[in-house]
Amino acid sequence: MSACDDYRSMIPLFLDDELRGNELQDFQTHIMGCPACKELLAEEQALSQLLHRTRPLYQAPEVLRAHVSDIISSEVQSPFHAPERLRQRILRILAFPQRSVARPTLRWGQLAAVGLVTALAVLFVPQMVERARANAFVETAAATHRSYLEGNLPMEIHTSSPPAVTAWFAGKVPFHFQLPESQQPLNGQQIYQLNGSRLVNFRGAYAALTTYEMRGDKISLLVVPDNSARAEGGEAVRSGSLTFHYHVVGDFKVITWSNHGLTYALVSSLPGSAQQSCLVCHQNMADRLKFSSRQ
Amino acid sequence: MSLNQHAIQEGSAGIEHIDGLYGYALVLTQNRTDAEDLVQETYVRAIRAMGRLRPDSNVKGWLFTILRNVWLNELRQRRRAPEVLDVEADERTANLADETTTDPHDVYVGKLERRHVRLAIQQLPEEAREVILLREWEELSYQEIATVLDCPVGTVMSRLARARSKLRDLLCSLLPNSYPCPERKVAAE
Repeated sequence: MSACDDYRSMIPLFLDDELRGNELQDFQTHIMGCPACKELLAEEQALSQLLHRTRPLYQAPEVLRAHVSDIISSEVQSPFHAPERLRQRILRILAFPQRSVARPTLRWGQLAAVGLVTALAVLFVPQMVERARANAFVETAAATHRSYLEGNLPMEIHTSSPPAVTAWFAGKVPFHFQLPESQQPLNGQQIYQLNGSRLVNFRGAYAALTTYEMRGDKISLLVVPDNSARAEGGEAVRSGSLTFHYHVVGDFKVITWSNHGLTYALVSSLPGSAQQSCLVCHQNMADRLKFSSRQ
Repeated sequence: MSLNQHAIQEGSAGIEHIDGLYGYALVLTQNRTDAEDLVQETYVRAIRAMGRLRPDSNVKGWLFTILRNVWLNELRQRRRAPEVLDVEADERTANLADETTTDPHDVYVGKLERRHVRLAIQQLPEEAREVILLREWEELSYQEIATVLDCPVGTVMSRLARARSKLRDLLCSLLPNSYPCPERKVAAE
């Protein structure tokens, strides 16, 4: 078996994003210098591109979509199923002739109290919902990071290039996500390394997960549209026009912020307080003082 | 509260995968009615079990696994091969995906390509149909496909290679303009 045969057998793995590290580098080096293998790769890519142009191959009929939505909605309205014995008891109770109970008339004082409670509910319930969503986002970011650390969330694209990540997410997530290239080298050394990205699920829609590595520590960045979750709670610190919220969830430090219609959660296990963990990347930046002490 | 409970309460538990699940159901059943029933049953079972799912679970792979298991159980109950109908027969209910271009020629070419790709997929053996759909259209990793199909990763790779080889032959005869046969190109040279 020639070297070319070995590399040709790797073409599907390359196209399916299943090659990693040295294998990937060896393959790319060989392809660059071998016109015959390069041509075979182009042929395989042509097939792959043709198939991708036909996505989605089928679309579920509207009737089916409506049925499934109904199934999910009915589950939302009754998330807990009463045991059959309890259902039977309730049916027996309802089967008895109903007693005639005069409906008590509400007094003015009671009506005022009801009105006050309603007004307070209108004022505070949206805030409570926002807070609950913010907390859920922090918990999800921590759970996602844990899953990533345990190897359950392999990256779907492996790259150290922010523009490649931005291009990969285009059309995959229901929002415009651009990964910034804001890293400023410290003494000529890169402080952190971009590892790759993948899609994850948050509240029934795709969210963007990007991972980094810094001195052996793994860091993840979860991004969702801010109409799914806003950054709230925790220890709030302003930096320019942004407000960062520092949370500690178990062993993880979670920093959340909202900007330009998106909400971000950066999760790490870096030592020190959640606020101090910002210093690791911002130590060489003009805004480092913002993270070195509480504002 | 888990992510999945949140998803259920938001009324969107995995609904974004419905097109992919429907495509997989069509590939397995080759029958629109069976495919719709299969997708519906998949969601019913998934929602019942979602409370037990870990927040960080791969919901997409899990839904595809449920769908396949439901179909295998259905086949066992029927004790006969599925009734094969031409899924391309009724163009009005073909539910072609929204085209991303408004140019009539591009739309026509796009529809033609999709139609021929569907025809080619239908002519593949079942194990080739499902492995290539899960990889090329659903973008599941080899490991995720292995989990759905309940087979080793090596089996996924060999099935995928065979499926691509057969699909290539079918497509270059069905779509010679947009996908010329490699052999033909070599012969012409």
